[in-house]
Amino acid sequence: MTTTTPQSTDRFTSSTPSEREYRTERVFDAPRDRVWRAYTEPALIAQWWGRGNKLAIEAYELRRGGHWRFVEHHENGVDGFEGRFREITPEERLSMTFEWDGMPGHPIVETVELHDLGDGRTRVVTTSLFFLREERDGMMQAGMEGGMIQSYAALDRVLAAMG
Amino acid sequence: MVQLSDRLDASFGALADATRRGILERLGRGDASISDLAAHFDMTLTGMKKHVQVLEAAGLVTTEKVGRIRTCRLGPRRLDAESVWIERYREMLEGRLDRLGAFLERSRDQR
Repeated sequence: MTTTTPQSTDRFTSSTPSEREYRTERVFDAPRDRVWRAYTEPALIAQWWGRGNKLAIEAYELRRGGHWRFVEHHENGVDGFEGRFREITPEERLSMTFEWDGMPGHPIVETVELHDLGDGRTRVVTTSLFFLREERDGMMQAGMEGGMIQSYAALDRVLAAMG
Repeated sequence: MVQLSDRLDASFGALADATRRGILERLGRGDASISDLAAHFDMTLTGMKKHVQVLEAAGLVTTEKVGRIRTCRLGPRRLDAESVWIERYREMLEGRLDRLGAFLERSRDQR
C-alpha cells in the first residue's frame, strides 16, 4: 500500500485528509477578487472550466440552493455536470454539489476556499468530499434504514388509502 | 486497519496509467499469464511485470506462479465504476486548476 504523504510541487499540494476527502492547495498569481470572479462569472467560467472544449452553461443560479449545470461538448460527444450551491461567501468560500450525468447518484461536495496572501497572490484550497459505498454502508448502519422503513410504511398507508 | 484513503491513493496510482486500466479490462475477461499480457499489449516481460506489481500492490490483481508461468487474475478489490469515476474526477479537478492558472495568467491585463 502507498501512504497518504501529500504530493507536492512548487505551488501545488494534494492530500487525502480523511477517509472521504481529497484536498488540493494551490497558489495563483492573481488577487483574490479576480480568482473569485473566474469562479463565479459564467462568461469567465466558460473560458477555463471545459478542458479546452466548448462549454455550455445551461444554468448558473448563484445563491444557496441554486442550480448550476454545465455541458461540455467534445469530439466524442457531450458530458453534463450539475449540482446545487450549498454555501456562497463572496471572495472567501464557495461550496456546491457536483454530479456527472454518467454517474448519477454519486454526488461530490466541492468546496473552494480563497485565501488572500496579501501580496497580490491567492491560495486556493479545494476539498472534494466523496459519497462512497463505504459511507453509504455506514449511514445504513446508523439508522437510515429505519428512516427508509418509516418512509415505506408511510407509502404503504398512502397506497392503501388510494384503494 | 487500512484506511480508505490509503486504498484510494493506491488505486489512484494504479489506475492513472492507460496500460494498467487495459490490463484490468483484459483480466476481466479471463486469467492470463504475464507473457500473454506482454504480447497482448506489445510490451517487454519486464515492463509488464512492473505494471502487474503496481496493480498487485493496490489489491486489484493477484498472481500465482506455477512452474515457470505466473498467472494473473483480478484481485479481491474489484475495479468498480465508482473507483474509475473518482480517478477521472481527480484528473479533471487537477486539470481544471491548471487551466484556471493559465486563464488568470492570460487575462491579467484585461480587467
